[in-house]
Amino acid sequence: MIGLLILPAALLIILIFGTPLIRYIWLSFHASSVITGLVPIANKGANWQRLINDQRFWQDSFQTFRFAALSVSLELFIALAIALLLNQKWRGRNLVRAITLLPWALPTTVMALGWRWIFNTPYGPIELIVNLIGLDQFNILSNPNTAWLATVLGDVWKTTPFIALILLAGLQTIPQDLYEAFKLEGGSNKEALFKITIPMLKPYILLSILFRLAQAFGVFDLIQVMTGGGPAGSTESLAIYAYLNAMRFLDFGYSSTIMIGSFILIVFSSIFSIYLFNKFKNIQGYSR
Amino acid sequence: MKKNLSLPIIILLFWSLFPLLWQLYTSFCTPEALTHPLEIIEHRWTLENYRQILKSDPPFIRYLFNSILLGITTTLLTLVFSLPAAYGLVKIKPYKAKLIRIILFGIALFPYVLLFLALLEIARDLNIGNNILMLSIPYSALSMPLAILLLTSALKDIPSELEEAAKLEGLNLAQRLKWILIPLIAPATSSTAILVFIFSWNEYPIALTWLSNPDLLTLPVAIARIAGSSVYSVPYGAYAAATVLGALPVLLIVIIFQKQIISGLTQGAIKG
Repeated sequence: MIGLLILPAALLIILIFGTPLIRYIWLSFHASSVITGLVPIANKGANWQRLINDQRFWQDSFQTFRFAALSVSLELFIALAIALLLNQKWRGRNLVRAITLLPWALPTTVMALGWRWIFNTPYGPIELIVNLIGLDQFNILSNPNTAWLATVLGDVWKTTPFIALILLAGLQTIPQDLYEAFKLEGGSNKEALFKITIPMLKPYILLSILFRLAQAFGVFDLIQVMTGGGPAGSTESLAIYAYLNAMRFLDFGYSSTIMIGSFILIVFSSIFSIYLFNKFKNIQGYSR
Repeated sequence: MKKNLSLPIIILLFWSLFPLLWQLYTSFCTPEALTHPLEIIEHRWTLENYRQILKSDPPFIRYLFNSILLGITTTLLTLVFSLPAAYGLVKIKPYKAKLIRIILFGIALFPYVLLFLALLEIARDLNIGNNILMLSIPYSALSMPLAILLLTSALKDIPSELEEAAKLEGLNLAQRLKWILIPLIAPATSSTAILVFIFSWNEYPIALTWLSNPDLLTLPVAIARIAGSSVYSVPYGAYAAATVLGALPVLLIVIIFQKQIISGLTQGAIKG
């Protein structure tokens, strides 16, 4: 009987998360666009055929991968540094911790707009500094080779606090005696970081990777507002492409195909990155 | 071990605050000040940017109000569904509960942006688009996996003897809820509520596709719309003022509820 308490929440979650996936799989085998008047007509595997031959889809996949890979790795490094700093005792630590959290709490669209202004040519502060030094303009956001790096910076800035907090919680579970014993045996601080801290943090690092990778693969708000996918489609993510197909080209069938395709890529790459992470740990010879 | 930490602390503060302070600075600048950043000009400071967005049509306050309303209904709805579910999860057989928790964790990882198209179709079929209150239904469903995990982990920490003892004393479920369960999980409930509110405050793709009536936009959509409206003439001062106003409520929440947010984030992630 008590299980009934779970039912309403379960039904709502199934409605919001479950039915879309089934709907997408179904739609991905149908033509449903302006041409059909958004009435789904079965077209066998035509959408999937198109996806496999769609250069833009693969280019966006590549872009999304490198965005996610670079963002999440930078976030892990910076977050570890922040967590180590916040784990020490100093005056004003709580205030600084609250300030560190601010970027995470702000709406992505708000700060994406802010970043656009910071990278603005020629009036943003970055270009001003470049000018003062006497270099040529960077044009970060209008150069297809660099624009994606700017979006990585925006993502790193916003989500590092979240990882830092998870790692900080992990640091606080490590008993202090471990470090003292290690030092008595003549180990240095730096060695302690690699022999104690990082191995003990492993579950927390894994958790952060899981959480962040999936989110980074779905990146949408930041790109949409900061670059709109441009210049020349160089920052376009899979979610943006799916959105364009649905809302601009009004092709629901193909948009669904892209979403199921992205979902499959996300699941595989998450599993693969965890496998890589574990392997890396084993090479280092940690026993845990 | 005691090294000088001031330099890393200053770097951390600069990293976290610089983009925000730049927006704040920009929001008080006249257009001339923005295009002549390094020269000495007569009129550098102004409140005109704020006046402009507060007077726009619909006024910016309207978006703030929409977002607050949506945040509150989403939070309440999430708790109404999640609290009983979490209680149920603690009481059913452990292996079933564990399976459900793993599934919930998997769902919480899912990049929900991919759901927008099907949710849009649902909104269209049921004719509930352009309705702030209805938008809180998908919002609360999206926040529910994490909310249930958070509340479950808090409920599990309550020793079951405590409730048994209360049962023996003859307290019924309602009384037990009132005197034992709710006070004990109040901290977890408040951190869950704050996290859900922040999610709702920041959510963009679903709101973008559900709302088209300019009077009903939430803050993130309104701001993104400003950004997309005029690519050529860019009134950045007014944008900056809009972002400052849009950021203020969250800044206050973070500073006031720092503890709850941190315990919510870490508990949810770790025990989940």
